[in-house]
Amino acid sequence: MRRWLPALVFFALLVSLPLWLKDAYLQQIVFRVVIFAVLGIAWNLVGGYAGQLSLGHVAYFGIGAYSVALFHEHFELNPWLGTVLGVVLACLAALLIGSLTFRLRGPYFALSTIAAAEILRLLALNLSFTHGAIGMIAPAFFAEPNGDTKTYYAALPLLLLAFAVATYTHRSRFGYYLRAIRENEDTAMAVGVNPAVEKLKALLLSAALVAAAGALYAGVFQFIGPDSVLTVDLSVQMALIAMLGGVATVWGPIIGAVVLTVAAEGLKAYLERAHLFFYGLLLVLVVLFLPGGLVSITKLRWFRRSAARAQAG
Amino acid sequence: MAALQAILNGLLVGGIYALIAMGMALVFGVMRLVNFAHGAFLMVGMYLAYFGYTLFKLNPYWGFGLVGAALFLLGMGVYWLLVRRVMGQSDFLQILLTEGIALCLIGGAQLLFTGDYRSISLPLADKTANLGPLNFNVAYVVSFVIALLAVTSMYLFMKYTEMGRAIRGVAQNRLVAPLMGIRVQWISGVSFAFGVACAGAAGALLLPIFYVNPTIGGPYNLKSFVIVVLGGMGSVEGAALGGLILGVTEGLTAYYWSDSYTQVVDFVLFLAVLLLRPQGLLGKKAP
Repeated sequence: MRRWLPALVFFALLVSLPLWLKDAYLQQIVFRVVIFAVLGIAWNLVGGYAGQLSLGHVAYFGIGAYSVALFHEHFELNPWLGTVLGVVLACLAALLIGSLTFRLRGPYFALSTIAAAEILRLLALNLSFTHGAIGMIAPAFFAEPNGDTKTYYAALPLLLLAFAVATYTHRSRFGYYLRAIRENEDTAMAVGVNPAVEKLKALLLSAALVAAAGALYAGVFQFIGPDSVLTVDLSVQMALIAMLGGVATVWGPIIGAVVLTVAAEGLKAYLERAHLFFYGLLLVLVVLFLPGGLVSITKLRWFRRSAARAQAG
Repeated sequence: MAALQAILNGLLVGGIYALIAMGMALVFGVMRLVNFAHGAFLMVGMYLAYFGYTLFKLNPYWGFGLVGAALFLLGMGVYWLLVRRVMGQSDFLQILLTEGIALCLIGGAQLLFTGDYRSISLPLADKTANLGPLNFNVAYVVSFVIALLAVTSMYLFMKYTEMGRAIRGVAQNRLVAPLMGIRVQWISGVSFAFGVACAGAAGALLLPIFYVNPTIGGPYNLKSFVIVVLGGMGSVEGAALGGLILGVTEGLTAYYWSDSYTQVVDFVLFLAVLLLRPQGLLGKKAP
């Protein structure tokens, strides 16, 4: 029971949030935190546990978002069906992209995932039924009033699901397989792990979560375009969220999502165009000084020293 | 004849691609580091050339050397301050670090210069020369010639100077190189700075024929990945050839299909080469 206490408190807080946080702008930030936490957790399965630096995860996000809009516009399907179809399509895309790119290692893999995502972005930008650079209007999941709050409550189960998947991965045999692949693919193979299959499993789980998050994102922001839901920057952001919080940990991406979203929003109030610079600086600092992410801060020497000093004082 | 014109246009752009990609190939060959900030350094070079022209009337065709030198120093600084610390670590961290540097440069440019599109108009850029039925834009030709001269001198430098030999030595074997009296750290720094300088100089050569804004480097970054993979990762001569091939491919795609699908073809080509011939078009053995 003690073990589940932090998760229980965290989700209770999220559920009760719309009751005491009435401001629409703040609610939207919280929604964004939830979506980014899902993205961070999903990316972490492939990038963290399996150690495969994917910089093309935005492809699945875009497929989810575009599915909701496209199926609504061309077949008049409601957004829920659009979401389901989006998840299915994203899994198919993951199957194709994964089976091609997982053959490559290291930087080659990272580059090929970017290429795959960029092909999708360019197609969305140039095809006529996606309306090119103009983008598309996505339908809302719930009618007004309080449509966004209801969508927020639809996003919470997704986060819970992502959290459950992460917890499972962290402790199960599957998770250990992935970590073995990250440490040394050849050795993992020698002890009977099939890297191709395990990596593909991780990617399918990851892509499904990311696509669902993309669909919900489209439902709330209601306007999507190649430069908002298919840009490489978003892939990097997913990696940054997981890195900032702590790769291959359950809570890391959640902490990363909270810190990054709140900090970026806070900064926006002062410096309109500074967010990209801020992300870059954060990424550099984390890589150089805190490669284990914020969850590893207690292991830093200065932290221990100052904690000891505080205790002594 | 129109197809020939398309090939010619592609070749002219390909010369500049060759210069950009050669810098990336050098960094990859010597340090096994994929520099995700390469395009961002190109953008910095373009801004330097832009302000050199608007503030000091410095023609980019003379100023590209200065821009290259400035970027060389910047590259040195970035290497000693940041990149050096992740050498020998996982490529996971290396890629994220250079991506972080790229975001800092792009974000910094947005803060300083806003996202506006800027361009200069050299009188040269409006001139065209004719050779039979073929048309040459003079600015493209000048950029192409300078880029090819830069590529050639780089090649000769690598082949015949002491420093070039040391760089190739480190690229061949990082462990044995220090036993031959080569200072690996120093050579790595110089190679990184050379790579950055190539991107910067290429940026200066692009300015007369293109516009600049903070995110302009992105496509060039991706294109140099494509070219470097085409030429075989780390092969400087391969990158030069890969640049020309990519330029011609783009020219033909634009002619036979559509201008907006050139990049799609780039990436399909890229994936195909990575999967079917990972050693590159010229390479002999798998890396």
